[in-house]
Amino acid sequence: MAASNYLSYTAREFAMDKDFQEWVLHPELRNVYWETWLGQHPEKEPIISDARQLVHSIRFKSYTLSATDKEQLWDAVWSGMAEEETDKDPVVSTPWWKYTWKYAAAVLLGILVAGAWWWMQSPGTEQTILSTHTKLGETRRLLLPDSSEVTLNADSRLLYAITGSGKREVWLDGEAFFHVKHTTSGQKFIVHTYDNLNVEVIGTQFNVNSTGKEIVVVLQQGSILLNIGEPGKGKATELYLHPGEMLRYNKQDGDYVKKSVDADHYTSWHTGRLIMDDFTLADAAIFMQQVFGKTLIVRDSQLLKYKVSGSMPIIYNPDTMMTQLGKVFRMQFNQRGDEVWIHKQ
Amino acid sequence: MNTGKAHKSGLRVVTSHSSLWGRFLQGDRHAFAEIYDAHIDDLFHYGMHFCQEKERVKDCLQDLFQDLWISREHLSADIQNVRYYLISSLRRRLLRALRKDRRYQHRESWEAFEFEYTLPLENQLILDETAEEQKRLLQQGLAGLTRRQREAIYLRFFQNLNYQEVADIMSMQVDSVYNTISKAIGILKKNISLPLLLLLLSR
Repeated sequence: MAASNYLSYTAREFAMDKDFQEWVLHPELRNVYWETWLGQHPEKEPIISDARQLVHSIRFKSYTLSATDKEQLWDAVWSGMAEEETDKDPVVSTPWWKYTWKYAAAVLLGILVAGAWWWMQSPGTEQTILSTHTKLGETRRLLLPDSSEVTLNADSRLLYAITGSGKREVWLDGEAFFHVKHTTSGQKFIVHTYDNLNVEVIGTQFNVNSTGKEIVVVLQQGSILLNIGEPGKGKATELYLHPGEMLRYNKQDGDYVKKSVDADHYTSWHTGRLIMDDFTLADAAIFMQQVFGKTLIVRDSQLLKYKVSGSMPIIYNPDTMMTQLGKVFRMQFNQRGDEVWIHKQ
Repeated sequence: MNTGKAHKSGLRVVTSHSSLWGRFLQGDRHAFAEIYDAHIDDLFHYGMHFCQEKERVKDCLQDLFQDLWISREHLSADIQNVRYYLISSLRRRLLRALRKDRRYQHRESWEAFEFEYTLPLENQLILDETAEEQKRLLQQGLAGLTRRQREAIYLRFFQNLNYQEVADIMSMQVDSVYNTISKAIGILKKNISLPLLLLLLSR
């Protein structure tokens, strides 16, 4: 559509225009064309606002599928296919997760050194260790041999042991969201961190983040038992978490606190969303550091307290993510290598 | 959440989705899971607006994704808009399921199913009577649209399909999709008066 035509447009015509609708419906995607056009024709502001309101008036009742429903539906999709696939396509019978691990084989060696401490202290049952890791700026969803699902956040590692006894154990360095499948025999699933904190579960959904100075465990569904304490130094503290509870464990002094939180704020990343509830620039800095390895730099530390609320999609591209955060905070994010300089607009 | 929706569909970058689609066609289960995650909310939303029976919608969705995986080798690698493809497939399934059901045999009765409208949150916060009256007029005006017209509006504004895609899904001419939406916007324009607009502008 030629720009000159727009000058004679009424609000209704603007509201009908596909490009105009895109601009109004997707404020997060910068539309330079319209911003420039409006800059050149400031007298059109009332008409544009009118048209914008028209587009915004069209809303629909919301229907949402709960997280549990979504998981169940996903499980139903696969179980419904199980019978059909076995007789139709024998190739599929190779467990698919083996492919995932194959690529991580090179990394496995390096990680084995880190994992050696438990390897040696474990009783000599037959076991295989599999490992995987994510780079900065990527996440990965894994299906473990027991059908539990793990979403690994950026720059994280996960080791998984298959023991003869069928015990389910993983070692996590970084952050992961777990959806542990309940087994018929009620087998335990244990998440070890590289500190004196273990998480024991039967079947549930929870998040473990060990990237910072603290280990933060947030339970979304089910129930988990936390084991805190150094091995061999008296009895470990045992602590249950209930849905919506969070435990912060200080890696340095072993101190911990439990509190109630909105679990979604801590787990939403695994569904690709960042929920921002009084989200400060300091929180954004932690996010950019953890996920992209970028350090945010401000001249005025007052800026760090600047807060926003809402939610946005996480896009695993540092530039896009910074542009989006810049818009949300109304600040300029200028990238210089791994540093990001923040300026007030 | 209504406002979150716009952000989400803004994520639709055709190139990245096409390559995701490519990986899926080659049997990558991660890609399949990503496609599921990216679209399940919107598909469910559409299904619920279409027939308002949760179990039926879930059954159709299960079939849809099962068939998608099983038939992946026969699907086109050249799908430009995965959302469009999935919605049109879900619509066919819902129609088929509803036709089998005796309760829906009479065309008029199932024409009666309606998309529901809610005003933007900002409007709901305005409690004075004139606003309430405007809201009522607006609802009344929009209620005058047929089910098909409402569906066309929904597909354009909520699901972000373009006019051509809306026309294809609903077997309508592009012109009539355009006219339908124009009519709805006309109703909105007539019913949203200046004071309310000014109030909204001062946000």
